[in-house]
Amino acid sequence: MELTKNITLGVYLPGSTSIHRLDPRTKILAAAILIILLLFVRTYEPYLLFSLFLFAVVLLSRIPVGYALCGLKPMLPVLAIMWVFQLFLFKTEDTAVLFSWWIFEATEAGLHMGNLISLRVLFLFTTTTLLTLTTSVVSLTDGLESLLKPLAKVGLPTQELVMTLVIALRFVLILAEELEKIVKAQMARGVAFDRGNFLQKTKKLFPVFLPLFIGAFKRAEELIVAMEARSYTGGRGRTKMKTLRFGRVDLYSTLATLAFSALLVFTILRSGPLY
Amino acid sequence: MLQGLKWIGVILDKLIETIDLSYSYRSGEGEAVRALSRVNMAVYRGEILAITGRNGSGKSTLARHFNALLTPKEGRVLVDGLSTADKANTALIRRKVGMVFQNPDNQLVSSVVEEDVAFGPENLGLPREEIINRVDEALNTMKLETVRHENPHHLSSGQRQQIAIAGVLAMKPECIVLDEPTAHLDPRGRREVLQSALKLNREEGITVVLLTHFMNEVIYCDRMIVMDRGEVRAAGAPQEVFMQEELIREMGLDFPVATRIASALRSRGYPLPPSIMQAEELIEGICRLK
Repeated sequence: MELTKNITLGVYLPGSTSIHRLDPRTKILAAAILIILLLFVRTYEPYLLFSLFLFAVVLLSRIPVGYALCGLKPMLPVLAIMWVFQLFLFKTEDTAVLFSWWIFEATEAGLHMGNLISLRVLFLFTTTTLLTLTTSVVSLTDGLESLLKPLAKVGLPTQELVMTLVIALRFVLILAEELEKIVKAQMARGVAFDRGNFLQKTKKLFPVFLPLFIGAFKRAEELIVAMEARSYTGGRGRTKMKTLRFGRVDLYSTLATLAFSALLVFTILRSGPLY
Repeated sequence: MLQGLKWIGVILDKLIETIDLSYSYRSGEGEAVRALSRVNMAVYRGEILAITGRNGSGKSTLARHFNALLTPKEGRVLVDGLSTADKANTALIRRKVGMVFQNPDNQLVSSVVEEDVAFGPENLGLPREEIINRVDEALNTMKLETVRHENPHHLSSGQRQQIAIAGVLAMKPECIVLDEPTAHLDPRGRREVLQSALKLNREEGITVVLLTHFMNEVIYCDRMIVMDRGEVRAAGAPQEVFMQEELIREMGLDFPVATRIASALRSRGYPLPPSIMQAEELIEGICRLK
């Protein structure tokens, strides 16, 4: 049970590469555009292009490739389940049946849909992870806050919402560590998490999550007191140490992202949906 | 006249004063639990004060009254002459008295060291240059410049607690209250945090209140207060308080290691002075024996 080692979402890897130093707004907007485009990808070719782009970002930001990929490990079971569901349950006319089992039929269309949807989730995850790996929580906040400014005018408490998000992200690692501790403590007392059928295994998780949730609430309460002690009274009247600046590098990267997006749109339109 | 003299006294040397402070809270069963009863104590400007007592003695509850995290239900708490009961004073009081808690993980806000240190000054609404200056200064004092861009999660727990102290330091408080800052640390982290607390007091002139149950931390303080069941049971210089052996035992507290050794030697007929607390004093005392 090495949970914390495989968690990359929400973790920031400090660095001083040009990707790290980009204005967070540039990165957030680029990630948003890419994620929206991903939802329209229905064939394999755009993914090839996409992976080239992401690979370039990984190289530029000097994130160890192995580290960037290990975050995907905990996702694999979910992906596998999704893939199987698509394989058997996706229905369309005139497609070859690969094999059938009881009332289920694995079709060729299902196989492709399974592949494509798994790829989509993988790429969504990788894109978001790359954003958080190269952007510290506070600059992420500042970026989001600045982008959401129009909504604050309508009365939405954007600063507070963003602060909540920041703290949630910071707690990902801490809670994972705590979960690991509880699981190990239970294992030491003889609970075998890897034995039994699905139902039995799920049942064993209850005594793990209860202390985790109670612990989380306690931590949250302590954090509130600590923030209050440091004069936090909500977003009003706060100033910032780091101010955002949209520089030349930001302009170039935005142009590059837009150019890539255009290329992506072009390939998406040209290839047309597979099914 | 007397009232006037007392008021001058507050301004001159008492930074924090509690007057007949009582506090009770409702337990899970709905019963009122008395956490503090008629506490009269003071923190003097420029001193380093230890507050000790076993778990549940009320020391944490008392400390939370020092910067208006809790406000008195009975009695009064004055910080630099300002009553904490008045909501209008809260912001100013929190600028004057900073607080560091037990678990560093539950008080750091950001995932970058320097950004966390900037959190307090940002809340104060200071101009950008001033924030940068203060962050630099605080990191410098706490010897954290080399890790300023790191994620606190990847540092040792001792360093994480130093970051928490730097975060309070950047708010330039007159007093820092450390609520068992070493309870979650390994021996090395404990030593480092204690040394920083002493340094803040001696070099930066900040009043320090240290809540602890490690007697080897108490011996470096100017004064100590012993709490038990919500009451102040003893106050004074550590040497004087540790001489009340009966009381210390009754409170469930330890003696400093050197004091224990000296007392054991004394009971075997070696005439060592009863005021020994630190290892150096013990060594000196033994050398003076012929």
